[in-house]
Amino acid sequence: MTSRSRTRTIVIYAALVAIASVQVLPLMFALTTSLKTLDDAYVFPPSLTVADPQWGNYLDAFAKLPFGRFMLNSALITLAAVTGAVFSSSMAGYALARLPWRGKRFWFVLLLGSMMLPSQVLLIPHFLTFDMLGWIGTYKPLIVPAWLGGGAFNVFVFRQFFRTIPRSVEEAALVDGATRWGFYRHILMPMSKPAIVTVAVLSFVYHWRSFLGPLLYLSDFRTFPVALGLRMYQSMAGTWINLLMAASVVALIPVLLVFAAGQRFLRSGSAQSRG
Amino acid sequence: MSVSERHYDVVATGSPNAGLPFALPWLIGLIGLTVLPMIGSLLLSLTRWDGLSVREGMEWVGLANYQSLLSVADEGSDGRLFRRAVGNSLYFTLIGVPLSVLASLGMALLLNTGVRGIALFRTVFLLPYLLGGVATILIWSWLFNPRFGIVNKLLRSAYVALDPVVGLFRDAGTSDWIVPEWFYSPHACKPALILLQLWLAGGAVLVFLAALQRVPRHLHEAALMDGANRWHCFRAVTMPHISPAVLFNLVVGVIFSMQAFDQAYLLYNRAQDDGLLFCVLYLYRVAFEPPYRIGQASAIAWIVFVVIGALVVPMMLIARRRVYYEVSR
Repeated sequence: MTSRSRTRTIVIYAALVAIASVQVLPLMFALTTSLKTLDDAYVFPPSLTVADPQWGNYLDAFAKLPFGRFMLNSALITLAAVTGAVFSSSMAGYALARLPWRGKRFWFVLLLGSMMLPSQVLLIPHFLTFDMLGWIGTYKPLIVPAWLGGGAFNVFVFRQFFRTIPRSVEEAALVDGATRWGFYRHILMPMSKPAIVTVAVLSFVYHWRSFLGPLLYLSDFRTFPVALGLRMYQSMAGTWINLLMAASVVALIPVLLVFAAGQRFLRSGSAQSRG
Repeated sequence: MSVSERHYDVVATGSPNAGLPFALPWLIGLIGLTVLPMIGSLLLSLTRWDGLSVREGMEWVGLANYQSLLSVADEGSDGRLFRRAVGNSLYFTLIGVPLSVLASLGMALLLNTGVRGIALFRTVFLLPYLLGGVATILIWSWLFNPRFGIVNKLLRSAYVALDPVVGLFRDAGTSDWIVPEWFYSPHACKPALILLQLWLAGGAVLVFLAALQRVPRHLHEAALMDGANRWHCFRAVTMPHISPAVLFNLVVGVIFSMQAFDQAYLLYNRAQDDGLLFCVLYLYRVAFEPPYRIGQASAIAWIVFVVIGALVVPMMLIARRRVYYEVSR
């Protein structure tokens, strides 16, 4: 190794470590704050160390507010929405990738166009529609749209993936007497795990984090998902900053788990779409 | 679609509309949740309505909503606040997006060097982006708490280390260090929010990494052989190959920043003097807080839509001449 390239390696590592510290520091500060007493959290100057970790804060966070309920609500909404998104967007993707129907090209162009559409234009008409349907205060506005296409991007992911599957597979199934439905359910979907995982992970994250939708449609705090519930540690009698940080850490865990579980498929999925 | 494909479709299915049942749920959504609401929103923006009394009290006002928002002469609070909101969003977008594209390109280049242990660094770099959401926004505001947050503590230690040079930053009266009030200041609140966007820039890093991995290695080697230095190499070989990724990140960044809502809503306070009043936050207030001016809010949505278009379309037009696409051109 020449001294010049050694210098370069050292500079690269220095930069990597510096950026990594910046990325981790906020999370460390959240973690340490979550283990302090309220008085210690509000000490000047602040510190990144904890003398006496208060693990009980994590229990307190669940006791002060129905945080377990918030987590369950989030899980329910997210599960229902993700299931719908995978079903409806894969069906639309199949129709767009492989099947003939009138106006297919027109609708495909509209699909691409709707990916560019800023969502704030739809905010008010959606609210008025769901209000007319009597859906305010229920989870329907958060779940039903996912069953009706589940996002233009998801349809696009499935369409692109299905186009990589050889037509001969489909021909063989149809010759053997399978219907289009049978082929979709028993052959196509089982072959499409990378696309399914990609869409499932992306829409899980989208629905788990979603804030504006629940803010508009839910008012009873017992129905709140985590994204809305977290805010309540702030508003009641000042801020329980230590409990808020504990709850935030807990709220991040499911996202981390889903990414970890989906990672293998996400990587092979992106390899497929590249090839 | 080629002739033979179309032939295959009809033969294999026996029906020219075999796709329709599969597409139906999505089509219902596309028409019911996108096309019709857009038309509805356009019509609503031409009315005055509180959204409460169905059909009653809805009044056709033509372009009056747009006029009251856009006219500079009218010093009514509508136009003033709206212009403030658009200005805030433009500040956030025009400064924040280029910065986060640069930062994410830098991170991607570092990760692309492939030194040992790079997988760990990649995970750490992307961690904030993967976590995201309300929790990270609230963590950020605690981090930037003027008195109890770690950011100002680090600033103070930096001042102490540099004391001889930066003596200027001591407050003359109390000889205390001058540190920003961040989210409690009209001036520092937007920079603090832009720093949050930089922290969360992992999505753009992923796009750049994918693009960088497609830059042909042999071109670099040939350029280095011909005596080019690394900067020349980056300009002449890497840049053209990743220009589609630059365009993509800029466009997506602009669309998302102009629509930023969660962070502005969660971190808003009176001390900011409307410094975080972004377009969509203002729209939300007009529509969903008394007196519920649905028509006015719909007009805001369409003006913001046009502003986003005015930012994105020129970028795409410039890109048509400048961006290098390996396959299509």
